[in-house]
Parts: sequence; structure tokens; C-alpha cells
Amino acid sequence: MLIEKERTGAYVLEQRYPLPLASAMPDVWELWRRAKTLEWDPQTDIPWEELHPERYSAEQLLAAQMYWSRRTWGEYGAISESPALLLRFCLERRLPDLQFFFTMRTMEEGRHAEASWLMAERLGRYFPQPQNPPTAGAVGTHGVRRMAFDPETSLEGIFASLVCAAEEILIDVFKATVHKATNPAVRRLMELILRDEVRHIAFGWQCLDAWAPAFTRETVRNIESAVITMIENVEFRGYRNLWLAIEGGSATPAEIDADRISCEAGLGGNTPEDEMRVFPEFLKKIRERMAPWGVDIPMFDHPRLGKV
Amino acid sequence: MSEVPEHPARLLRAYQAQEKRFVERRFPLEFAPEVPALRELYSQGKGLRWNPETDIAWERFDPTRYDGATREAASRTWSRRAWSVYPGLTESTALLIRFCLESGSLGMDAKLFLSFRPAEEAKHLEVCHMLAERFGGYAADPEEPGLARVSNHAFGQAALDRDLPVEAYIAALGALDDQLDLNLLVSHLQQAKDEVVRAALRLIAGDRARHVAFAWAFLGSRVPALDAHGRTAVVDAVCDLLSHVVLAGYRNTWLLPEKSREPWLSAEAETARHGLGASTPSQERGVLRATVAQVRERLAAWKLELPRVEHAELGTL
Repeated sequence: MLIEKERTGAYVLEQRYPLPLASAMPDVWELWRRAKTLEWDPQTDIPWEELHPERYSAEQLLAAQMYWSRRTWGEYGAISESPALLLRFCLERRLPDLQFFFTMRTMEEGRHAEASWLMAERLGRYFPQPQNPPTAGAVGTHGVRRMAFDPETSLEGIFASLVCAAEEILIDVFKATVHKATNPAVRRLMELILRDEVRHIAFGWQCLDAWAPAFTRETVRNIESAVITMIENVEFRGYRNLWLAIEGGSATPAEIDADRISCEAGLGGNTPEDEMRVFPEFLKKIRERMAPWGVDIPMFDHPRLGKV
Repeated sequence: MSEVPEHPARLLRAYQAQEKRFVERRFPLEFAPEVPALRELYSQGKGLRWNPETDIAWERFDPTRYDGATREAASRTWSRRAWSVYPGLTESTALLIRFCLESGSLGMDAKLFLSFRPAEEAKHLEVCHMLAERFGGYAADPEEPGLARVSNHAFGQAALDRDLPVEAYIAALGALDDQLDLNLLVSHLQQAKDEVVRAALRLIAGDRARHVAFAWAFLGSRVPALDAHGRTAVVDAVCDLLSHVVLAGYRNTWLLPEKSREPWLSAEAETARHGLGASTPSQERGVLRATVAQVRERLAAWKLELPRVEHAELGTL
């Protein structure tokens, strides 16, 4: 069975040689180098002894448990889906810098998932699923694995939507709210995740900047379409924050309010006011950042954010 | 830039077709340890992390101590090793995706462990590349069709093949191939005299030992519950890998078809002679026989009988 399908041509063999391994994108190589020096361990590098869940009310703990459980599900997407991008880099024989760096990204996302799960657990309870099953559709996947395996989906579009846009807003919110995390264990975890994610986003922008001179009109349209889809079908469905879900979905009021209550308790998360402030700034930033490539990101209507 | 060339597009479509055969049930998404031994291996992976650039004393490495022919031989040996490490990037990534596709509620220990493995393979690859470069230059292409063919298998696709039980895949690639690779690394380490080469081999072997332990611990957690079909698939996959991959020279140059062995075989002999990270064919023969015996014995503990395999040069294995 293992070899038979290879012999019969049911498996397609890679054309592996020549196999260059020297760096060809020094900025991306530097990110790989930095990642190796900044590894950390969720079990030992967070001051868990300073978490003190007993100091918080039941309502605050429940909200924080929900928030960190949601984060766990989101981070899991980065070990279940995004690694398909590494396969794509290898199968398309992209530069070694991309392949090397992305192995560390997968490792780091695994660490973030474990750390977020540990935080929920140590705050009292990890929730393994949304309270109402249909919400799983909104928070369960961003669809990157399918896109990565689809040769009709441009790599540039995936980079712009996932590696730049989706990660950028996540980090913008983290940056804007990390000071509100008064709990030392929570704050340290947020800082460590932030440190990794900054590299992940830099990777996306560096690749797109390097490829931009070769963008065709079709590439630009692919990028626009992918970013719009990410905003409308992922962010505005509540993938990262259920409060942003336009349809409201089937999330319970407790789930929707969890981010705010957890944030106000200093246990991580953000408030609707944070979203109102950060989300429009984020859109303005990526609009400006992508404009030199000829990419035009439109304005979006959102019932609570307004025209952004 | 955006249009995928024809062959990579075929490869992607092959992966796409395999991925579509799974219906992922992500929730409930369980994170608590199920198999403590696997979670422990993941923890060890985090604790024993190392950096190829800073944890090997490259400043003490002096290739000028060796003559030109020896340096050239060592650069060939380490280039070939890099080619054999590279598939680990795709294979372990595809296996991680397979575990995720199969279930959100099962296998988190394996998923966490496998989220680390591609980076560990990348570090090994970097070490092989650095050594080849320092000995005189990494060769990106074997320029020998026989070797290129024998060292290129579609194991990444096999990892995502729903028809192949994941236990069978791990038995073949983990319990046999990783075990053989580990045993060969240990043999190279025993022969190595250069302290930098020794450090490199020791670090790589440390990770590989964890990969092998993962395979056996995983099989220990799953094989007892396998039905007859699953048990047969495990034995068949191991036998297949041994007969058609290992004995075709996937890991051992002296097993390659005779016309494909040079200049790699002479290079390894020279590398071994100077203690720069290789073993002699005779030493490797011993390692291969011992590994097959070891794998057979361990499978027998689960009443899985690995059939004897005939080889023209080696006889019965």
C-alpha cells in the first residue's frame, strides 16, 4: 500500500532537485534566526504562581475561561490549517527562507494553543466547544488549508488575507490592550504571544513586498478579493471576536460579552470600545500599506462599527 | 508569480483531493493529555530546544586540518544527508494535518508533538547544510538519476491518505525508518572524531531519539485496539518500506544500484576514515541488521509478525 500507490502513479512524485538551501531572502532568514533564539515554554516561562484565580469573581472567571478557550480554538487553526502553507512552499519549491521560517511558525502556533488552553484550565475550566454548536462555523475555521491546497488560489491572496490582515488585526488588538491585563501571568502570556506574532506578520509583509514588483492585475485582484473575504466572511462572522458578528449568530450573550468582562477584570480580552477604536485604524493601515501595490481595499459597512 | 506551474499544481491537486476525503470535526476540541508518554515527549521537545548556529562551537571548527579530497568527500556526505533530512519537513507537516483532520477530540498529544517536528527537521537540515558548506560547498543536486529517484518518495501524500491507517504510516516511517536513521546516527557518532561534527550528530540524534520514542509510544497506545485490517496494514507498511525503500538504498548508499553508488560511497568511506560523520558499509550493515531485528522483536510484543525479507547481497533479513 505504501509504495503501491507511488508505483501506480496514484501519488504524484515531487521534483525535488536541485534542492537549494542557502538563504535568498535575508530579511526572512533573519526572522528564522530570531525565532530560534526566542523560543519559550508555556509551562515554565509564565509566572503561573501569580495567576491567583481565587481573587476574581465567578463572573470574571467564567468570562476569562470563555475568552481563553476561544483563543485556544483560534490558535488551533494555525496548527490544523496554516501548516498546509508550508506544504505548498515545499511543493511549489519556493525559496528555502520561506520553508525554514514557516516550520518555526507552526511550532510557535502550537505553543500559543497550548498556552491559551493552559490559561483557561488554570483559570478554572477550558471549554472544548462553543455553547451553541452553530457558532462552531464562525469560530472554527478560516479556511486556509483548503485555499493552500488549491492551485487556483493565489499564494499572494492567502498571504495578504491570512498572514497579513487576519494576524495584523489580532496583534493590533493585543497591542492596544496588553496594558489592561493587570494579572501578571496573563500579561506575560500576551507579551510572549505578541513577540512571536510580530514576526509572523513581518514575514507576510516582507514576502509580499518582495513579490510586489511582479504582481499582475490579476494578482492584485486576487489580493483584494482575499482580503475582502477575510474581513466580511471571517472577521465579521465573529471568528476572532463574537461581538463583531454581523448576524449575531448563535453565540450566547455570555459568550459575546466574555471578552469585555475578562478585559475589565485584567484577565485578557478587549472591550467593544477597543474594537471600535482599533478595527478602523487597522483597516486604514492595511489599506495604506497595500495601496502602493495597486491594491484597493474598499470601505466596509458594519452595524456597530459604522462605515470603516 | 501567482500562476502555479504545471507540476506543482498537479501535486497540490493530489493533496487537495486527499484532504477532501476527510470530514473534519473540530469540536469538541480536547487539549487534555490522553497518552502521558506522548505529552512528555512534547514537553521534552520544548525543554531540549537548541539552535544550530549557537549550540555548536563553529568557531572551533577548522576544515583546513583536512586535505582537499577529504573535505570534498565530507561535503558530499553532508549534502546527501541534507537531501535525506529534507522530506521530513513535508512528511511531518502532512502527518500533523492528518491528525487534525481525523479528529478534534482525539490525538492532541500527537498534534502538539508534531507541531514541533518540522522545525526540528529544519534545524537538522540547517546543520547538514552548514557542515557541507564549511567542508567546501553544499551540492544542491545529486546529478545522478538513480540516487535522485531512490531518495524521492511520496510519503507526504501517504501521510494524508485515508486508505492508509495512521498507525501503519507511523510504524513504517517512525518505528522503522526513523529508528534506522537514529541507529545510523549513533553509529556515525561513535566513529566521529571531530568535536564539532560530534556535537552536530549528538544534537540531531537527541531529537531523532524523541521522534523514535514518539513512534513506539504512539503505536503502544493504538495497536492493542486495532482490528485485523489495521494490524495487517501495520505489518504490510513496515514490510513494504523495508523491502522497497530501505533495501533500495534510501538511507544506505551501499544498497543503491551499483551504477548509482559513486561518488557517494567513496565519499562516505573517506568521511568515515577521518571521523567526520559517517560509518563504513560494514558498520552500516551491522546497524541495519540490528535495526530490523529490533523492530521485529518490538512488533512481536503486539503479536505482529514481520515477515523475513530476502536481499541479493544481504541474504535473509
